[in-house]
Amino acid sequence: MKKTLFTLQFAFTLAVCAFLVVPVVLSVLAGLTANYFIGIKSGLTLRWVGEVWDGYQDTIYLSIGIALACLAVTLVLGVPAAYALARTRSRLGRLFEELLMLPIAVPGLATALGLIVTYGALGSFRTSWTFILVGHVLFTLPFMVRSVLAVLSAIDLKTLEEGAASLGATFRERFFHIVLPNCRNGILAGALMVVTLSVGEFNMTWLLHTPFTKTLPVGLADAYASLRLEIGSAYTLVFFMMIVPLLLAMQAIAAPRTRRFARDDGKLETM
Amino acid sequence: MQFSTLKRYATIAALALAALGTQATAHADSHAVCYNCPPEWADWGDQLKAIKNRLGIQVPPDNKNSGQSIAAMIAEKANPVTDVVYLGGISGDPARDAGILAPYKPKGWEKIPAELKDPNGYWFTIHSGTLGLFVNTAALGGKPVPQSWADLLKPEYKGMVGYLDPTSAAVGQIGVMAVNLSMGGNYDNLDPGIKFFKQLMKNQPIVPKQTSYARVISGEIPILIDYDFNAYRAQYTDKAPVRFVIPKEGTVVFPYVMALSKNGPNADNGRKILDYVLSSESQTMWGNAYLRPVFPEYLSPEAKSRFLPDSEYARAKAVDLKKLALAQPKIVERYKNEVQ
Amino acid sequence: MTLLLPAAIFFAAFFILPMCRLFLVGGSGAMGWSAYAAIVTDASYFKALLATLGVAAATTVATLVISAIAGVFLQRHRFPGKSLMVSMLTLPLAFPGVVVGFMVIMLAGRQGLIGVVSQMLGGDNLVFAYSLLGLFMGYVYFSIPRTILTVMAATEKLDPRLEEAARSLGASPWRVVCDVILPGLKPALIAAGAICFATAVGAFGTAFTLATNINVLPMVIYTEFTLSANIAMSAALSFVLGAVTWLALAVARSLTGPNVAAAG
Repeated sequence: MKKTLFTLQFAFTLAVCAFLVVPVVLSVLAGLTANYFIGIKSGLTLRWVGEVWDGYQDTIYLSIGIALACLAVTLVLGVPAAYALARTRSRLGRLFEELLMLPIAVPGLATALGLIVTYGALGSFRTSWTFILVGHVLFTLPFMVRSVLAVLSAIDLKTLEEGAASLGATFRERFFHIVLPNCRNGILAGALMVVTLSVGEFNMTWLLHTPFTKTLPVGLADAYASLRLEIGSAYTLVFFMMIVPLLLAMQAIAAPRTRRFARDDGKLETM
Repeated sequence: MQFSTLKRYATIAALALAALGTQATAHADSHAVCYNCPPEWADWGDQLKAIKNRLGIQVPPDNKNSGQSIAAMIAEKANPVTDVVYLGGISGDPARDAGILAPYKPKGWEKIPAELKDPNGYWFTIHSGTLGLFVNTAALGGKPVPQSWADLLKPEYKGMVGYLDPTSAAVGQIGVMAVNLSMGGNYDNLDPGIKFFKQLMKNQPIVPKQTSYARVISGEIPILIDYDFNAYRAQYTDKAPVRFVIPKEGTVVFPYVMALSKNGPNADNGRKILDYVLSSESQTMWGNAYLRPVFPEYLSPEAKSRFLPDSEYARAKAVDLKKLALAQPKIVERYKNEVQ
Repeated sequence: MTLLLPAAIFFAAFFILPMCRLFLVGGSGAMGWSAYAAIVTDASYFKALLATLGVAAATTVATLVISAIAGVFLQRHRFPGKSLMVSMLTLPLAFPGVVVGFMVIMLAGRQGLIGVVSQMLGGDNLVFAYSLLGLFMGYVYFSIPRTILTVMAATEKLDPRLEEAARSLGASPWRVVCDVILPGLKPALIAAGAICFATAVGAFGTAFTLATNINVLPMVIYTEFTLSANIAMSAALSFVLGAVTWLALAVARSLTGPNVAAAG
């Protein structure tokens, strides 16, 4: 009975994996096939990847640049904010946390429209990559804050800091040598999340971009619509190559660890 | 996180910002923005390359359709982003009336026939195409190639027919009018056209909003209501199993126009581009891309030999741009309310 | 508290202020403030709202069921290839809607895999990429990775001794699932479900790529903005859309308490 249950669940999970992975494989193949309509019989080629690089390398650089800039800004804004939220017990802090989560709840379209109606008239801001950066920061900041806050809330920050203070550490020293090292994992997880989300952001960026500030997902949408399917697929392939290492790194950090329980006889049992 | 790691991250971020900064300054050389210059439509890809080589102006491709371009320009009126715009002829007057265009009469203006330009210089035709059926014969699954508008309603083509959305794309609106005129309607009476699209909706059509050249070639949309120049390009340049069909009931020849944006950021470059698209070099390129250049002498005999015979084209009538522009809002309204 | 200031200023300038502007712009169009009621008074907008909520609800249910089964299974068992499976399941986490729409076409388009298989099995060429069913499939596609992570994290925190106790008292595996595991996972499932619902309601890229007769609210908003430059209507609609999603998340929060960390 237990065996059949296991097999059924295993088969189900395998089917779900297939549902998620098979189209990715098909897409990668399409990007490397000489002619999609004929299929794999027409041979494999790197021609399409080359054409994507020729036509779209700007978008790739811009996406990477914006993602890194987004990371920098969310670190500067988010880590201190998470620390302040972890230390405060006030209602204002809770309210601020709620508000901060809003850009995740509100559809990207709405956020982008809001930015356009408010700041669209400022010509050089509107056509600059910083306009897109602002949207990305709004969307990713909550993830950074939440990630760091989760770690900070789990440790006894107050005691650690008081201990350091009683030994004569200044605030700066406490922040950089006590707080930051202790939330290292939170910052790392948050950082990977921010970069991954920024590279893949489309809903907002589609409205915020101008012909000279196209990011990778925006270029991708263009390519699917108007260029050969093989080029769109090759472009997707380039996107995968950028994002998969990030995702693997995220998993390595966030991997649920095995749990240990103390049994009544004092020995440790693992799950 | 150690302070040294923090410093490392900060350096990476700073380098990224620097890289972005250099990219920004790299654009300090000549550039301009064109709305609705999709690389796979009318071979704009090669035109943009030629503009870069010949004029030294970099223009990125743009996939907005006519409706989206006008809407974007209206939204950006206070601080325009684009310098020039390419529109279906049906949208020339509406764009002028929306106050987003600036008049400019490029070199060669006098040679353009009067019915193909705005008298005050707000827009002018650069080339025309004939609407019909852009068919991927290998994707039909053995069914015969459709020969008329009425054929598209047959159940054997269920799920195979596509047309661009008339609520935003000029070619979509032209499709409605072309069917309408060929089935007995006129510029004021849209009933036959709307009736046709209502019936077509039952055949599960695919209705994209932007140019879908790639989807026909991949077989995703076997039959697209589109222009002859796109079909010929697929057939002769991309060597796809494509045929162009001029429907038996008749169709229209439709001009595409260009205009200068009002208060564009690089207006001088915009004017140079508009001069260029009427030049012999550019007009020859349009001809080689299977369009009918507004100066017909530039259509090379070689390109012309690839068109369908003139006897077929006899069924294609010219449009009255003024009447068409007036009918545009009605087309959009009725399609939205009765068909969609 | 000064540490909050940079984030607060940034947020106020680039989110609070624009949202207020958006609200005002929504009421400034031809219809005035009744634009905000248009989402229920206008037939085509109302249809779009129902379609949006319907697809989002169906997506949430399907995703939760699939993620619960697969997530608990993966967390509880060890076998060769397990981490590979987990990686594969979380791969689409960052895919933009455009890519997901394209995956849907690969599976269910005219030359999609499903069509080929159904033809091989003797039936018709099954094509549903361009309908609400295709959209639903796309939404489930990008929702599963996020939800599975939450389920796995929550399952890790379940105390297996409760299940052992239930089994030792004679409960069948099915009863154990219903009476011990599911209630234990409930807060996480509600939180993940709310995020799934909110994301599906606001999703744009997928519908844009599949781009045909799918009239969900984000597409309607986009069309109003880019077609008629009907900024007021699109502002009003997007504000309402934002309010709906925020409400869904607020309800979920109140049901589960403030301490649930949803999947990142």
